[in-house]
Amino acid sequence: MLRAIFLTAVTLLVAVGGGAASVWYALDHVGGLGALEIGAWTAYPATGTAGVDPYSRARASRGAELPLGPSEGLEFTAGRDDGGEPLRRECDYVVEGPSPAARFFTLHAEDAAGRPIRRAAWRPRSGEARPRPPALHSHEVLREADGRVVVAVSGMPRPGNWLYAGGSGPMTLVLALYDTPVASSARVGEVGLPAIRRVGCPS
Amino acid sequence: MRSLAYALLLGLVGAAIVHIAVLLMVPAYSERDAWSKLAAAAGPYSIVRVSGDETVEPLVSGIDPLFEAAACRFDLSEAPARLAGRETVPFWSVSVYDRAGVNLYSFNDRTADQGLLDLLIVTPAQMLELRKELPAEYERSVIVETEATEGIVVVRAFRPDAEWRAEVLRFLEGVTCRPA
Repeated sequence: MLRAIFLTAVTLLVAVGGGAASVWYALDHVGGLGALEIGAWTAYPATGTAGVDPYSRARASRGAELPLGPSEGLEFTAGRDDGGEPLRRECDYVVEGPSPAARFFTLHAEDAAGRPIRRAAWRPRSGEARPRPPALHSHEVLREADGRVVVAVSGMPRPGNWLYAGGSGPMTLVLALYDTPVASSARVGEVGLPAIRRVGCPS
Repeated sequence: MRSLAYALLLGLVGAAIVHIAVLLMVPAYSERDAWSKLAAAAGPYSIVRVSGDETVEPLVSGIDPLFEAAACRFDLSEAPARLAGRETVPFWSVSVYDRAGVNLYSFNDRTADQGLLDLLIVTPAQMLELRKELPAEYERSVIVETEATEGIVVVRAFRPDAEWRAEVLRFLEGVTCRPA
């Protein structure tokens, strides 16, 4: 009798505990299905459609996300550089490459909690503090003679295009393309996205 | 010993079933999803700013820091929902979500007539009524047909720099969301 109760309890514990724990693990640590990978960048084009997979759907629901639709744009994220090393806020990076096919794009860095990395407000000697937007967009970046875009990602000011990413800990770069044929067309494999190169890390 | 192994095996099969059940139930029972947060902030058919800035935490996550966004919950059980804006900004886009946050339809200012936002969300039954005779006021509207009777519509507007902030917020405040 006691043995039967014990075995039933083991079965239930494994079923309920294991089932629930595996869902939380999958939502936190496993990427969605249908990932589109270009270089170091990953996007989930199906997330913004009715064909979203159940994992992305549960994740969006839990994080109060409202994903971009295919006519709005497509968000690429990168947690690693082109060498495969995880991106760190302490390190300096260069994001370099052709301008992606889109009406415009924005680039920003997020901390481990998914919040944009903001710099403390810059306070000129006179006047109010002027917070800088924690992102760059394609209408303001300087381009090379051949049309390429080179952006320095660093905690210290850099000449040319500079995206602030100071502090410490892991970070994610987010490149969002707006009004882009990439999100809706089948020719996703032909998209050129900039490379992420590590320049250096403080030792 | 054999019965213990049997119990563990049964437990694993049960775990797979529980995994699938929990996964499918998360969107329906989540109290932290966009719908619940919007419901806590305002009633249906009212525009709520969902983007954040230096001082304000965004209401929903995943909004581009260079964007301002506003959301409105609609209910089609009585009448279609109408969303209209009077101004234009450098870029705006609209998405219609069902209650669980699944994106049903999206478009941007290029698709809209004269770059002005004018959206009508209808159920299939209301669409049949509209097909009989389209009222003149909806001639320029983008009409979206959806099976979902409740949902969220989100307007996103690009804010190129701080100078545009006031103008973009005025655009979002000028958007009306009401039953048609």
